[in-house]
Amino acid sequence: MSSPDEDRSPGPEQDVGWSALMAAAQGGDRAAYRRLLTEITPYLRALARRSLHRPADAEDAVQDVLLTLHSIRQTYDPARPFQPWLVAIARRRIVDRIRIQIRTTGRETAIDPFQETFAAPETNEGGFEADSIALRRAIAALPPGQRQAVELLKLKDMSLKEASAASGASVPALKVAMHRALKALKGALGPK
Amino acid sequence: MTETGHTRTEELITQLVADIRPVRPLRPPMLRALAWLAIAVLVIAAVVAAIGIRPDFMDEMGETHYQLEWAGAMLTGILAAVAAFHVSLPDRPRAWALLPLPGLALWLFSIGYGCMTDWVRHGPEGFALGVSFFCFRSILLISLPLSVALLAMLRLAGPVRPVATIACGMLAASALSACAVDMFHGDEATLMVLIWHGGAVALLVGLGTLFNRRLFGLFAPRPA
Repeated sequence: MSSPDEDRSPGPEQDVGWSALMAAAQGGDRAAYRRLLTEITPYLRALARRSLHRPADAEDAVQDVLLTLHSIRQTYDPARPFQPWLVAIARRRIVDRIRIQIRTTGRETAIDPFQETFAAPETNEGGFEADSIALRRAIAALPPGQRQAVELLKLKDMSLKEASAASGASVPALKVAMHRALKALKGALGPK
Repeated sequence: MTETGHTRTEELITQLVADIRPVRPLRPPMLRALAWLAIAVLVIAAVVAAIGIRPDFMDEMGETHYQLEWAGAMLTGILAAVAAFHVSLPDRPRAWALLPLPGLALWLFSIGYGCMTDWVRHGPEGFALGVSFFCFRSILLISLPLSVALLAMLRLAGPVRPVATIACGMLAASALSACAVDMFHGDEATLMVLIWHGGAVALLVGLGTLFNRRLFGLFAPRPA
C-alpha cells in the first residue's frame, strides 16, 4: 500500500516556490527557511522510504539531508531549479544510510519471537511432544525395579546413594536396574 | 518510533532555523575556476622566476612533440579545474568530470609520439631508464599550494561530491605543476617524462581520491 507521502513530488510551481524560499533563506529569512524545511520534509521522507524500508532509517536519512542542505546552502544558485539540487543531496545521504544499514545488518542476527532452546537444530524440530509421549510410555512399560531406577536416578535426578535410601535397593542393584532399563528403552525407542 | 523520529526531525528543523545566518550564493563555477587558474599562474610564475627558465626551453618548444606535450598538460590542467568547480556543485551533471579527457588524451598521445621520436633518433638507448626525483619532487611541491587553494575553494563539495571533485582538482593541480616543471627542468627521454610526471600526477590523484574525506575534513563547513 502506498503511503500518502509518496505522491508528494513537487510540480513546477512548487519548485519555483521552494526556489524563492531558499533564496530568502540564503538572505537569512527564518520564516522562509522554516517553511521550506517543513514543506520539503514529507517529500524527502517519501524519497528515503523508497530505498530504506525501516521508518527509523528513513527518518535518519531525512535528518542527514536537512543537515547537509543547511551546511552547503550557499551552493544553491537561485537562478536554477531547486529540486535537482535537493534531490542530488538527498540521494547522496540516502546512499550513505543504505551503506550504514548494510554494515549494521551484516553484524546483527534477527531473533525470531519463538527463540530456539538449543543450538542443535534437531532439538528444535517438530515432533518434540510426540517423542516425549513415546518415552513416557516406554518407561511405564518397564519392569517395576527398572522403572523405579529411571524415575529416581534420571527423572528426579537423585544420586545413587539417595536413590538407594529412598527405594531400599542396594547401590549395585540400582546400577544394574538402570543399565537394563536404558537397554530396554533403547530397544523400544531406537531405530526399528 | 516513527512519531519519535518525526518529532526529532521537527526539533532539528527548529535548531537549523535558529542557526541560520545570511550566506552569499557561490559565484558561477566558471568564474571561480578562472580565479583559481589565476592563483595557479601566480604560484607557477613565482616558482619559475625563482629557479629560472632553462636555456633550451624555447628551442625545445620549436619541436612538435614538446609543443603537444606541453599543450596537453596545460589543457588537462585547465579543463580539470573547470570540471572540478562544476562537478563540485550538487545540481551539475557528474559528466563534467569527463571534461579533462580530451586534454589527457592529447597529453598521452604526445608522450607516445615523443617515445616514438626518441626511438627513431636514438634507438633502444632512447628508452634508457633513470631516476628523476627532482621533477617528481618539484611537481609534488608546486602541487601543494595549488591543491590547498583548490580545496579551500571547493570545501563545500565535501558532503556531496567528494571523489569526483578531488580527482579533477588534483589532476588540475598536478598537470599545471608538470607544465611548470617542464619550464625549468628538461633534457629527459620522453619515457622518463611518462614515468616521473605521469607518476606524480597519478600519485596525487590517487592519494586525493583515497583520502578525500580527511582532506575535505580539513576545510569542512562548520556543522549546525
